[in-house]
Amino acid sequence: MTQDPDGALLPRRRFLQPSVVVGTLSLCAVVGLYWLVALLPGTHPALVPAPPTIVDTFVEQLRSGDLLVNTAASLERVLIGYLIGASLALVLGALAGWFRWWGWILNPIIDALRPIPALAYIPLVIVWIGIGEPSRIIIIALAVFKPCVVNARAGMQEVAQIYVDAARTLGASRWRVFTTVAVPSAIPYFIAGMRTGVSTGFLALVAAELIAAPSGLGFMIQNAGQYFRTDITIVGIIVIGVLGAFLDQVASRAGRALTAWSDTRREP
Amino acid sequence: MSEKLGVRRLTHRFRIGDAAAPLVVLRDVELSVPRGRFVCIIGESGCGKSTLLRMMAGLLTPSEGQVLHDGVPVRGVNQALGFVFQQDAVFPWLTVERNVEYGPKARGVPKAERDRLVAQWCAAVGLGAFRKAYPKQLSGGMRKRVDLARAYANSPDVLLMDEPFAALDVQTKSTMQEEVLRLWESTQKTVVFVTHDLDEAVFLSDVVVVLASRPGRVHAIIENPLQRPRNEATRVGDAFAAAKRALWSALQSARAAGGAQPHSNPESVPS
Repeated sequence: MTQDPDGALLPRRRFLQPSVVVGTLSLCAVVGLYWLVALLPGTHPALVPAPPTIVDTFVEQLRSGDLLVNTAASLERVLIGYLIGASLALVLGALAGWFRWWGWILNPIIDALRPIPALAYIPLVIVWIGIGEPSRIIIIALAVFKPCVVNARAGMQEVAQIYVDAARTLGASRWRVFTTVAVPSAIPYFIAGMRTGVSTGFLALVAAELIAAPSGLGFMIQNAGQYFRTDITIVGIIVIGVLGAFLDQVASRAGRALTAWSDTRREP
Repeated sequence: MSEKLGVRRLTHRFRIGDAAAPLVVLRDVELSVPRGRFVCIIGESGCGKSTLLRMMAGLLTPSEGQVLHDGVPVRGVNQALGFVFQQDAVFPWLTVERNVEYGPKARGVPKAERDRLVAQWCAAVGLGAFRKAYPKQLSGGMRKRVDLARAYANSPDVLLMDEPFAALDVQTKSTMQEEVLRLWESTQKTVVFVTHDLDEAVFLSDVVVVLASRPGRVHAIIENPLQRPRNEATRVGDAFAAAKRALWSALQSARAAGGAQPHSNPESVPS
Protein backbone atom coordinates (compact mmCIF):
# COMPACT_ATOMS: atom_id res chain seq x y z
CA MET A 1 0.00 0.00 0.00
CA THR A 2 1.15 3.55 -0.70
CA GLN A 3 0.04 6.95 0.48
CA ASP A 4 -1.53 9.46 -1.85
CA PRO A 5 -1.14 13.21 -1.27
CA ASP A 6 -4.39 13.31 0.69
CA GLY A 7 -3.01 10.78 3.13
CA ALA A 8 -5.44 8.07 2.09
CA LEU A 9 -4.20 4.54 1.67
CA LEU A 10 -4.40 3.35 -1.90
CA PRO A 11 -3.55 0.05 -3.52
CA ARG A 12 -0.08 0.24 -5.13
CA ARG A 13 -0.22 1.45 -8.72
CA ARG A 14 0.32 -1.49 -11.02
CA PHE A 15 2.72 -0.96 -13.90
CA LEU A 16 0.39 -2.63 -16.39
CA GLN A 17 -2.68 -0.53 -15.90
CA PRO A 18 -5.52 -1.27 -18.34
CA SER A 19 -5.46 2.33 -19.58
CA VAL A 20 -1.76 2.10 -20.44
CA VAL A 21 -2.12 -1.30 -22.15
CA VAL A 22 -5.10 -0.28 -24.27
CA GLY A 23 -3.53 3.08 -25.11
CA THR A 24 -0.32 1.45 -26.31
CA LEU A 25 -2.21 -1.11 -28.39
CA SER A 26 -4.24 1.63 -30.03
CA LEU A 27 -1.08 3.56 -30.98
CA CYS A 28 0.52 0.37 -32.32
CA ALA A 29 -2.54 -0.26 -34.45
CA VAL A 30 -2.16 3.14 -36.13
CA VAL A 31 1.54 2.51 -36.83
CA GLY A 32 0.77 -1.00 -38.10
CA LEU A 33 -1.88 0.29 -40.46
CA TYR A 34 0.55 2.89 -41.82
CA TRP A 35 3.20 0.20 -42.25
CA LEU A 36 0.76 -1.95 -44.24
CA VAL A 37 0.09 0.95 -46.60
CA ALA A 38 3.83 1.55 -46.99
CA LEU A 39 4.32 -2.10 -47.98
CA LEU A 40 1.52 -2.15 -50.55
CA PRO A 41 2.82 -2.81 -54.07
CA GLY A 42 2.97 0.42 -56.06
CA THR A 43 3.67 2.61 -53.02
CA HIS A 44 6.80 4.69 -53.54
CA PRO A 45 9.19 4.11 -50.57
CA ALA A 46 10.48 7.70 -50.71
CA LEU A 47 6.96 9.17 -50.45
CA VAL A 48 5.59 6.71 -47.89
CA PRO A 49 8.68 5.60 -45.95
CA ALA A 50 8.28 2.48 -43.83
CA PRO A 51 8.74 2.87 -40.03
CA PRO A 52 12.34 1.49 -40.01
CA THR A 53 13.37 4.20 -42.49
CA ILE A 54 11.77 6.84 -40.27
CA VAL A 55 13.68 5.53 -37.27
CA ASP A 56 16.93 5.66 -39.28
CA THR A 57 16.20 9.23 -40.33
CA PHE A 58 15.48 10.17 -36.74
CA VAL A 59 18.85 8.81 -35.62
CA GLU A 60 20.62 10.52 -38.50
CA GLN A 61 18.95 13.84 -37.73
CA LEU A 62 19.93 13.49 -34.08
CA ARG A 63 23.55 12.75 -34.98
CA SER A 64 23.91 15.66 -37.36
CA GLY A 65 22.56 17.98 -34.69
CA ASP A 66 19.88 19.42 -37.01
CA LEU A 67 17.05 18.01 -34.98
CA LEU A 68 18.33 19.49 -31.73
CA VAL A 69 18.95 22.92 -33.27
CA ASN A 70 15.48 22.98 -34.80
CA THR A 71 13.77 21.71 -31.66
CA ALA A 72 15.57 24.25 -29.48
CA ALA A 73 14.62 27.09 -31.84
CA SER A 74 10.97 26.03 -31.85
CA LEU A 75 10.80 25.50 -28.11
CA GLU A 76 12.24 28.94 -27.45
CA ARG A 77 9.67 30.55 -29.73
CA VAL A 78 6.78 28.64 -28.22
CA LEU A 79 7.86 29.38 -24.65
CA ILE A 80 8.33 33.12 -25.19
CA GLY A 81 5.10 33.43 -27.18
CA TYR A 82 3.26 31.32 -24.66
CA LEU A 83 4.44 33.31 -21.66
CA ILE A 84 3.46 36.61 -23.27
CA GLY A 85 0.10 35.39 -24.60
CA ALA A 86 -0.94 33.46 -21.51
CA SER A 87 0.04 36.05 -18.90
CA LEU A 88 -1.67 38.90 -20.78
CA ALA A 89 -4.75 36.73 -21.27
CA LEU A 90 -5.02 35.67 -17.63
CA VAL A 91 -4.72 39.23 -16.34
CA LEU A 92 -7.14 40.73 -18.87
CA GLY A 93 -9.58 37.80 -18.71
CA ALA A 94 -9.68 37.92 -14.92
CA LEU A 95 -10.32 41.68 -14.89
CA ALA A 96 -12.95 41.45 -17.65
CA GLY A 97 -14.78 38.62 -15.92
CA TRP A 98 -14.86 40.27 -12.52
CA PHE A 99 -15.02 44.05 -12.58
CA ARG A 100 -18.00 45.60 -14.31
CA TRP A 101 -16.03 48.44 -15.84
CA TRP A 102 -13.25 46.22 -17.12
CA GLY A 103 -15.92 43.95 -18.59
CA TRP A 104 -17.54 46.84 -20.42
CA ILE A 105 -14.18 47.86 -21.82
CA LEU A 106 -12.73 44.44 -22.66
CA ASN A 107 -15.67 42.16 -23.46
CA PRO A 108 -16.45 43.61 -26.91
CA ILE A 109 -12.79 43.27 -27.87
CA ILE A 110 -12.52 39.70 -26.58
CA ASP A 111 -15.75 38.68 -28.27
CA ALA A 112 -14.71 40.30 -31.55
CA LEU A 113 -11.37 38.47 -31.51
CA ARG A 114 -12.93 35.14 -30.56
CA PRO A 115 -14.02 33.86 -33.99
CA ILE A 116 -10.81 34.97 -35.77
CA PRO A 117 -8.17 32.23 -36.15
CA ALA A 118 -4.73 33.48 -35.09
CA LEU A 119 -3.33 32.41 -38.45
CA ALA A 120 -5.48 35.02 -40.17
CA TYR A 121 -3.24 37.70 -38.65
CA ILE A 122 -0.12 36.37 -40.37
CA PRO A 123 -0.29 38.63 -43.46
CA LEU A 124 -0.96 41.68 -41.28
CA VAL A 125 1.83 40.87 -38.87
CA ILE A 126 4.27 40.38 -41.75
CA VAL A 127 3.33 43.72 -43.29
CA TRP A 128 3.46 45.58 -40.01
CA ILE A 129 6.31 43.91 -38.16
CA GLY A 130 8.26 42.16 -40.90
CA ILE A 131 9.43 38.57 -41.25
CA GLY A 132 11.76 38.43 -38.26
CA GLU A 133 11.56 36.59 -34.97
CA PRO A 134 9.17 39.12 -33.31
CA SER A 135 6.49 38.33 -35.90
CA ARG A 136 6.65 34.62 -35.19
CA ILE A 137 6.42 35.21 -31.45
CA ILE A 138 3.49 37.59 -31.86
CA ILE A 139 1.54 35.03 -33.87
CA ILE A 140 2.14 32.32 -31.27
CA ALA A 141 1.19 34.74 -28.47
CA LEU A 142 -2.05 35.62 -30.28
CA ALA A 143 -2.90 31.94 -30.71
CA VAL A 144 -2.28 31.24 -27.01
CA PHE A 145 -4.09 34.38 -25.89
CA LYS A 146 -7.53 33.43 -27.21
CA PRO A 147 -8.33 30.21 -25.30
CA CYS A 148 -6.66 31.59 -22.16
CA VAL A 149 -8.62 34.83 -22.10
CA VAL A 150 -11.96 33.16 -22.81
CA ASN A 151 -11.46 30.55 -20.08
CA ALA A 152 -10.14 33.03 -17.53
CA ARG A 153 -13.15 35.26 -18.05
CA ALA A 154 -15.58 32.33 -17.81
CA GLY A 155 -13.92 31.17 -14.59
CA MET A 156 -14.37 34.56 -12.97
CA GLN A 157 -18.02 34.66 -13.97
CA GLU A 158 -18.61 31.27 -12.34
CA VAL A 159 -17.28 32.23 -8.90
CA ALA A 160 -19.87 31.15 -6.32
CA GLN A 161 -21.66 34.12 -4.73
CA ILE A 162 -21.57 32.44 -1.32
CA TYR A 163 -17.75 32.81 -1.12
CA VAL A 164 -17.98 36.45 -2.12
CA ASP A 165 -20.62 37.14 0.53
CA ALA A 166 -18.59 35.27 3.15
CA ALA A 167 -15.45 37.26 2.36
CA ARG A 168 -17.36 40.56 2.37
CA THR A 169 -18.91 39.89 5.78
CA LEU A 170 -15.45 38.90 7.08
CA GLY A 171 -14.19 42.37 6.26
CA ALA A 172 -12.52 41.94 2.85
CA SER A 173 -12.38 44.94 0.51
CA ARG A 174 -13.54 44.54 -3.08
CA TRP A 175 -9.95 44.25 -4.29
CA ARG A 176 -9.22 41.67 -1.62
CA VAL A 177 -12.25 39.64 -2.68
CA PHE A 178 -10.84 39.70 -6.21
CA THR A 179 -7.36 38.52 -5.24
CA THR A 180 -8.22 36.09 -2.43
CA VAL A 181 -11.59 34.67 -3.51
CA ALA A 182 -12.31 35.18 -7.21
CA VAL A 183 -8.86 34.37 -8.59
CA PRO A 184 -8.20 31.24 -6.48
CA SER A 185 -11.63 29.78 -7.11
CA ALA A 186 -11.24 30.39 -10.87
CA ILE A 187 -7.84 28.64 -11.06
CA PRO A 188 -9.28 25.40 -12.50
CA TYR A 189 -10.56 27.47 -15.44
CA PHE A 190 -7.21 29.21 -15.82
CA ILE A 191 -5.53 25.80 -16.07
CA ALA A 192 -8.04 24.58 -18.66
CA GLY A 193 -7.32 27.64 -20.78
CA MET A 194 -3.57 27.26 -20.40
CA ARG A 195 -3.74 23.61 -21.49
CA THR A 196 -5.71 24.51 -24.59
CA GLY A 197 -3.15 27.27 -25.13
CA VAL A 198 -0.36 24.69 -25.34
CA SER A 199 -1.97 23.02 -28.32
CA THR A 200 -3.04 26.21 -30.10
CA GLY A 201 0.48 27.54 -29.50
CA PHE A 202 2.04 24.56 -31.26
CA LEU A 203 -0.50 24.89 -34.05
CA ALA A 204 0.58 28.46 -34.62
CA LEU A 205 4.27 27.56 -34.28
CA VAL A 206 4.36 25.55 -37.48
CA ALA A 207 2.46 28.23 -39.37
CA ALA A 208 4.67 30.98 -37.94
CA GLU A 209 7.81 29.14 -39.03
CA LEU A 210 6.54 29.10 -42.59
CA ILE A 211 7.41 32.81 -42.54
CA ALA A 212 10.99 32.56 -43.78
CA ALA A 213 12.23 30.99 -40.58
CA PRO A 214 15.94 30.06 -40.57
CA SER A 215 15.35 27.15 -38.21
CA GLY A 216 12.70 25.34 -36.23
CA LEU A 217 10.57 22.22 -36.52
CA GLY A 218 8.05 23.96 -38.78
CA PHE A 219 10.90 25.07 -41.03
CA MET A 220 12.35 21.55 -41.01
CA ILE A 221 9.02 20.00 -42.05
CA GLN A 222 8.39 22.55 -44.74
CA ASN A 223 11.93 22.44 -46.11
CA ALA A 224 12.01 18.63 -46.23
CA GLY A 225 8.68 18.57 -48.02
CA GLN A 226 10.09 20.70 -50.81
CA TYR A 227 12.85 18.11 -51.40
CA PHE A 228 10.44 15.16 -51.12
CA ARG A 229 12.17 14.08 -47.91
CA THR A 230 8.90 12.72 -46.48
CA ASP A 231 10.87 10.79 -43.85
CA ILE A 232 12.24 14.01 -42.34
CA THR A 233 8.79 15.60 -42.44
CA ILE A 234 7.35 12.66 -40.53
CA VAL A 235 10.16 12.81 -37.94
CA GLY A 236 9.39 16.51 -37.46
CA ILE A 237 5.69 15.83 -37.05
CA ILE A 238 6.32 13.14 -34.46
CA VAL A 239 8.70 15.36 -32.50
CA ILE A 240 6.11 18.15 -32.45
CA GLY A 241 3.47 15.70 -31.26
CA VAL A 242 5.66 14.33 -28.48
CA LEU A 243 6.78 17.80 -27.37
CA GLY A 244 3.21 19.07 -27.33
CA ALA A 245 1.99 16.10 -25.33
CA PHE A 246 4.89 16.53 -22.90
CA LEU A 247 4.19 20.24 -22.35
CA ASP A 248 0.49 19.49 -21.93
CA GLN A 249 1.42 17.00 -19.20
CA VAL A 250 3.61 19.62 -17.53
CA ALA A 251 0.72 22.12 -17.59
CA SER A 252 -1.72 19.51 -16.34
CA ARG A 253 0.54 18.44 -13.46
CA ALA A 254 1.23 22.04 -12.48
CA GLY A 255 -2.52 22.62 -12.58
CA ARG A 256 -3.23 19.61 -10.40
CA ALA A 257 -0.70 20.79 -7.85
CA LEU A 258 -2.33 24.23 -7.78
CA THR A 259 -5.83 22.79 -7.39
CA ALA A 260 -5.04 20.05 -4.89
CA TRP A 261 -7.75 21.56 -2.70
CA SER A 262 -10.46 20.84 -5.26
CA ASP A 263 -12.60 17.75 -4.76
CA THR A 264 -13.61 17.48 -8.40
CA ARG A 265 -12.66 14.51 -10.55
CA ARG A 266 -8.96 14.50 -11.29
CA GLU A 267 -8.67 12.73 -14.61
CA PRO A 268 -10.46 14.20 -17.62
CA MET B 1 -31.39 46.54 27.91
CA SER B 2 -29.87 48.50 25.05
CA GLU B 3 -30.64 47.72 21.45
CA LYS B 4 -27.83 46.12 19.45
CA LEU B 5 -29.63 45.66 16.14
CA GLY B 6 -32.85 47.36 15.11
CA VAL B 7 -35.13 46.83 12.14
CA ARG B 8 -37.40 49.77 11.32
CA ARG B 9 -40.48 49.57 9.10
CA LEU B 10 -38.62 47.33 6.73
CA THR B 11 -40.47 46.40 3.54
CA HIS B 12 -39.04 44.49 0.63
CA ARG B 13 -40.54 43.52 -2.69
CA PHE B 14 -39.19 42.11 -5.87
CA ARG B 15 -40.49 41.33 -9.29
CA ILE B 16 -40.67 37.73 -10.42
CA GLY B 17 -40.31 37.46 -14.18
CA ASP B 18 -42.61 40.04 -15.78
CA ALA B 19 -45.50 39.71 -13.33
CA ALA B 20 -47.42 42.99 -13.12
CA ALA B 21 -47.40 43.23 -9.34
CA PRO B 22 -44.15 42.85 -7.41
CA LEU B 23 -44.09 40.14 -4.76
CA VAL B 24 -43.99 41.56 -1.25
CA VAL B 25 -41.44 39.49 0.62
CA LEU B 26 -41.42 41.45 3.87
CA ARG B 27 -43.84 44.11 5.07
CA ASP B 28 -43.38 46.64 7.85
CA VAL B 29 -41.04 44.49 9.89
CA GLU B 30 -40.12 46.01 13.24
CA LEU B 31 -37.57 44.25 15.38
CA SER B 32 -35.28 45.06 18.24
CA VAL B 33 -32.41 42.78 19.18
CA PRO B 34 -31.07 43.64 22.65
CA ARG B 35 -27.35 43.43 23.36
CA GLY B 36 -26.06 40.03 24.41
CA ARG B 37 -29.23 38.09 23.75
CA PHE B 38 -29.79 35.00 21.68
CA VAL B 39 -32.68 35.69 19.29
CA CYS B 40 -34.15 33.04 17.01
CA ILE B 41 -36.25 33.91 13.99
CA ILE B 42 -38.64 31.18 13.01
CA GLY B 43 -41.28 30.80 10.32
CA GLU B 44 -42.37 28.46 7.59
CA SER B 45 -40.26 28.19 4.49
CA GLY B 46 -40.67 31.14 2.15
CA CYS B 47 -41.67 33.59 4.89
CA GLY B 48 -38.67 35.80 4.18
CA LYS B 49 -36.62 34.97 7.28
CA SER B 50 -33.39 34.47 5.34
CA THR B 51 -34.04 37.64 3.37
CA LEU B 52 -34.53 39.53 6.64
CA LEU B 53 -31.24 38.19 8.01
CA ARG B 54 -29.34 39.07 4.84
CA MET B 55 -30.71 42.59 5.14
CA MET B 56 -29.56 42.80 8.74
CA ALA B 57 -26.06 41.98 7.45
CA GLY B 58 -26.33 44.52 4.65
CA LEU B 59 -25.95 41.83 1.98
CA LEU B 60 -29.32 42.95 0.58
CA THR B 61 -30.81 46.43 0.55
CA PRO B 62 -34.49 46.67 1.54
CA SER B 63 -36.98 48.49 -0.69
CA GLU B 64 -38.04 50.61 2.28
CA GLY B 65 -37.06 51.03 5.89
CA GLN B 66 -33.72 50.50 7.50
CA VAL B 67 -31.53 48.39 9.73
CA LEU B 68 -29.80 50.05 12.68
CA HIS B 69 -26.61 48.81 14.28
CA ASP B 70 -25.98 50.54 17.63
CA GLY B 71 -28.46 53.15 16.41
CA VAL B 72 -26.56 53.83 13.17
CA PRO B 73 -28.25 52.98 9.85
CA VAL B 74 -26.48 50.19 7.97
CA ARG B 75 -25.42 50.93 4.39
CA GLY B 76 -23.73 48.24 2.34
CA VAL B 77 -22.26 45.08 3.85
CA ASN B 78 -21.86 45.56 7.60
CA GLN B 79 -18.38 44.22 8.21
CA ALA B 80 -18.70 44.50 11.97
CA LEU B 81 -21.05 41.51 11.96
CA GLY B 82 -20.29 37.84 11.46
CA PHE B 83 -22.44 35.70 9.17
CA VAL B 84 -22.72 31.93 9.12
CA PHE B 85 -24.46 30.71 5.99
CA GLN B 86 -26.71 27.72 5.44
CA GLN B 87 -24.57 26.52 2.54
CA ASP B 88 -20.98 25.46 2.87
CA ALA B 89 -19.11 28.77 2.75
CA VAL B 90 -15.69 27.60 3.93
CA PHE B 91 -13.11 28.49 1.26
CA PRO B 92 -12.08 25.13 -0.25
CA TRP B 93 -8.75 26.49 -1.53
CA LEU B 94 -7.54 27.44 1.96
CA THR B 95 -6.53 25.16 4.83
CA VAL B 96 -8.52 25.22 8.05
CA GLU B 97 -6.13 27.66 9.71
CA ARG B 98 -5.99 29.96 6.67
CA ASN B 99 -9.80 30.02 6.66
CA VAL B 100 -9.90 30.99 10.33
CA GLU B 101 -7.21 33.59 9.72
CA TYR B 102 -9.05 35.15 6.77
CA GLY B 103 -11.06 37.81 8.61
CA PRO B 104 -8.26 39.04 10.92
CA LYS B 105 -5.89 39.17 7.94
CA ALA B 106 -8.38 41.19 5.88
CA ARG B 107 -8.57 43.63 8.79
CA GLY B 108 -4.82 43.97 9.05
CA VAL B 109 -4.36 42.23 12.40
CA PRO B 110 -0.59 41.66 12.96
CA LYS B 111 0.81 38.18 12.33
CA ALA B 112 1.53 37.29 15.95
CA GLU B 113 -1.98 38.20 17.03
CA ARG B 114 -3.46 36.28 14.08
CA ASP B 115 -1.52 33.16 15.07
CA ARG B 116 -2.88 33.46 18.58
CA LEU B 117 -6.47 33.85 17.28
CA VAL B 118 -6.11 30.87 14.96
CA ALA B 119 -4.78 28.67 17.76
CA GLN B 120 -7.49 29.85 20.15
CA TRP B 121 -10.46 29.33 17.81
CA CYS B 122 -9.31 26.13 16.16
CA ALA B 123 -9.00 24.70 19.66
CA ALA B 124 -12.34 26.21 20.74
CA VAL B 125 -14.24 24.28 18.07
CA GLY B 126 -12.19 21.11 18.51
CA LEU B 127 -10.23 21.32 15.26
CA GLY B 128 -6.76 21.74 16.75
CA ALA B 129 -5.53 18.58 15.07
CA PHE B 130 -6.93 19.57 11.65
CA ARG B 131 -5.37 22.99 11.23
CA LYS B 132 -3.40 22.03 8.12
CA ALA B 133 -6.26 20.08 6.50
CA TYR B 134 -8.17 21.25 3.44
CA PRO B 135 -11.98 21.46 3.73
CA LYS B 136 -12.49 18.57 1.30
CA GLN B 137 -10.79 16.30 3.82
CA LEU B 138 -13.34 17.20 6.51
CA SER B 139 -16.90 16.05 7.17
CA GLY B 140 -19.86 18.42 6.83
CA GLY B 141 -20.04 18.92 10.59
CA MET B 142 -16.34 19.71 10.81
CA ARG B 143 -16.63 22.23 7.99
CA LYS B 144 -19.40 23.97 9.95
CA ARG B 145 -17.02 24.16 12.90
CA VAL B 146 -14.47 25.84 10.65
CA ASP B 147 -17.20 28.27 9.59
CA LEU B 148 -18.02 29.05 13.24
CA ALA B 149 -14.35 29.45 14.19
CA ARG B 150 -13.80 31.72 11.19
CA ALA B 151 -16.74 33.92 12.22
CA TYR B 152 -15.71 34.09 15.90
CA ALA B 153 -11.99 34.65 15.20
CA ASN B 154 -13.00 37.88 13.51
CA SER B 155 -14.46 39.14 16.82
CA PRO B 156 -17.74 40.25 15.28
CA ASP B 157 -20.01 42.53 17.25
CA VAL B 158 -23.06 40.38 16.42
CA LEU B 159 -23.36 36.92 14.88
CA LEU B 160 -26.02 36.26 12.29
CA MET B 161 -26.67 32.62 11.48
CA ASP B 162 -28.88 31.49 8.63
CA GLU B 163 -30.03 27.91 9.31
CA PRO B 164 -26.39 26.93 9.67
CA PHE B 165 -27.09 23.33 10.65
CA ALA B 166 -29.97 22.57 8.29
CA ALA B 167 -27.84 20.28 6.15
CA LEU B 168 -26.38 18.25 9.03
CA ASP B 169 -27.60 14.92 10.39
CA VAL B 170 -29.55 14.90 13.68
CA GLN B 171 -26.63 13.76 15.82
CA THR B 172 -24.14 16.29 14.45
CA LYS B 173 -26.79 18.97 14.57
CA SER B 174 -27.41 18.63 18.30
CA THR B 175 -23.66 18.57 19.01
CA MET B 176 -23.27 21.77 17.01
CA GLN B 177 -26.15 23.40 18.86
CA GLU B 178 -24.43 22.74 22.17
CA GLU B 179 -21.23 24.11 20.66
CA VAL B 180 -23.00 27.33 19.67
CA LEU B 181 -24.52 27.71 23.13
CA ARG B 182 -21.12 27.21 24.73
CA LEU B 183 -19.53 29.82 22.45
CA TRP B 184 -22.38 32.23 23.10
CA GLU B 185 -22.14 31.78 26.85
CA SER B 186 -18.37 32.30 26.85
CA THR B 187 -18.36 35.36 24.57
CA GLN B 188 -21.67 37.03 25.45
CA LYS B 189 -21.99 38.12 21.81
CA THR B 190 -25.44 38.94 20.49
CA VAL B 191 -26.72 36.20 18.16
CA VAL B 192 -29.56 36.26 15.64
CA PHE B 193 -30.28 32.73 14.48
CA VAL B 194 -32.70 31.85 11.70
CA THR B 195 -34.23 28.37 11.73
CA HIS B 196 -37.37 26.48 10.85
CA ASP B 197 -36.67 23.84 13.47
CA LEU B 198 -38.78 24.22 16.64
CA ASP B 199 -36.45 22.15 18.81
CA GLU B 200 -33.48 24.20 17.72
CA ALA B 201 -35.24 27.49 18.50
CA VAL B 202 -36.36 26.29 21.95
CA PHE B 203 -32.96 24.87 22.84
CA LEU B 204 -30.94 27.94 21.81
CA SER B 205 -33.00 31.10 22.23
CA ASP B 206 -33.80 33.73 24.82
CA VAL B 207 -36.42 35.19 22.52
CA VAL B 208 -38.18 33.76 19.48
CA VAL B 209 -39.52 35.97 16.70
CA VAL B 210 -42.30 34.19 14.82
CA LEU B 211 -42.83 35.38 11.25
CA ALA B 212 -46.06 34.97 9.27
CA SER B 213 -45.70 34.64 5.53
CA ARG B 214 -46.97 36.32 2.35
CA PRO B 215 -46.02 38.94 3.00
CA GLY B 216 -43.45 38.14 5.66
CA ARG B 217 -44.17 40.05 8.85
CA VAL B 218 -43.66 39.72 12.57
CA HIS B 219 -46.49 37.65 13.99
CA ALA B 220 -45.38 37.19 17.58
CA ILE B 221 -42.37 37.71 19.81
CA ILE B 222 -42.11 35.05 22.49
CA GLU B 223 -39.87 35.01 25.54
CA ASN B 224 -38.39 31.54 25.97
CA PRO B 225 -39.02 30.48 29.59
CA LEU B 226 -36.49 27.64 29.45
CA GLN B 227 -33.80 28.03 32.13
CA ARG B 228 -30.07 28.19 31.50
CA PRO B 229 -27.61 26.58 31.48
CA ARG B 230 -29.03 24.05 29.06
CA ASN B 231 -27.57 20.71 28.10
CA GLU B 232 -28.48 17.43 26.43
CA ALA B 233 -30.83 16.54 29.31
CA THR B 234 -32.74 19.79 28.85
CA ARG B 235 -34.15 18.44 25.60
CA VAL B 236 -36.14 15.67 27.29
CA GLY B 237 -37.44 17.73 30.23
CA ASP B 238 -41.05 18.84 30.75
CA ALA B 239 -40.06 22.51 30.59
CA PHE B 240 -38.65 21.94 27.11
CA ALA B 241 -41.86 20.25 25.95
CA ALA B 242 -43.97 23.08 27.36
CA ALA B 243 -41.85 25.77 25.70
CA LYS B 244 -41.98 23.86 22.44
CA ARG B 245 -45.77 23.55 22.69
CA ALA B 246 -46.14 27.31 23.20
CA LEU B 247 -43.94 27.99 20.20
CA TRP B 248 -45.83 25.45 18.13
CA SER B 249 -49.15 27.18 18.83
CA ALA B 250 -47.65 30.53 17.85
CA LEU B 251 -46.41 29.01 14.61
CA GLN B 252 -49.84 27.51 13.95
CA SER B 253 -51.57 30.84 14.37
CA ALA B 254 -48.91 32.47 12.18
CA ARG B 255 -49.67 29.87 9.54
CA ALA B 256 -53.39 30.64 9.77
CA ALA B 257 -52.69 34.36 9.50
CA GLY B 258 -50.30 34.02 6.59
CA GLY B 259 -50.93 33.20 3.01
CA ALA B 260 -54.19 35.14 2.85
CA GLN B 261 -52.84 37.47 0.21
CA PRO B 262 -50.49 35.57 -2.05
CA HIS B 263 -48.79 37.88 -4.59
CA SER B 264 -50.37 41.01 -3.20
CA ASN B 265 -48.86 44.42 -3.64
CA PRO B 266 -48.85 46.87 -0.77
CA GLU B 267 -51.62 49.04 -2.21
CA SER B 268 -54.14 46.23 -2.28
CA VAL B 269 -53.33 44.86 1.15
CA PRO B 270 -55.75 45.99 3.86
CA SER B 271 -53.69 46.98 6.84
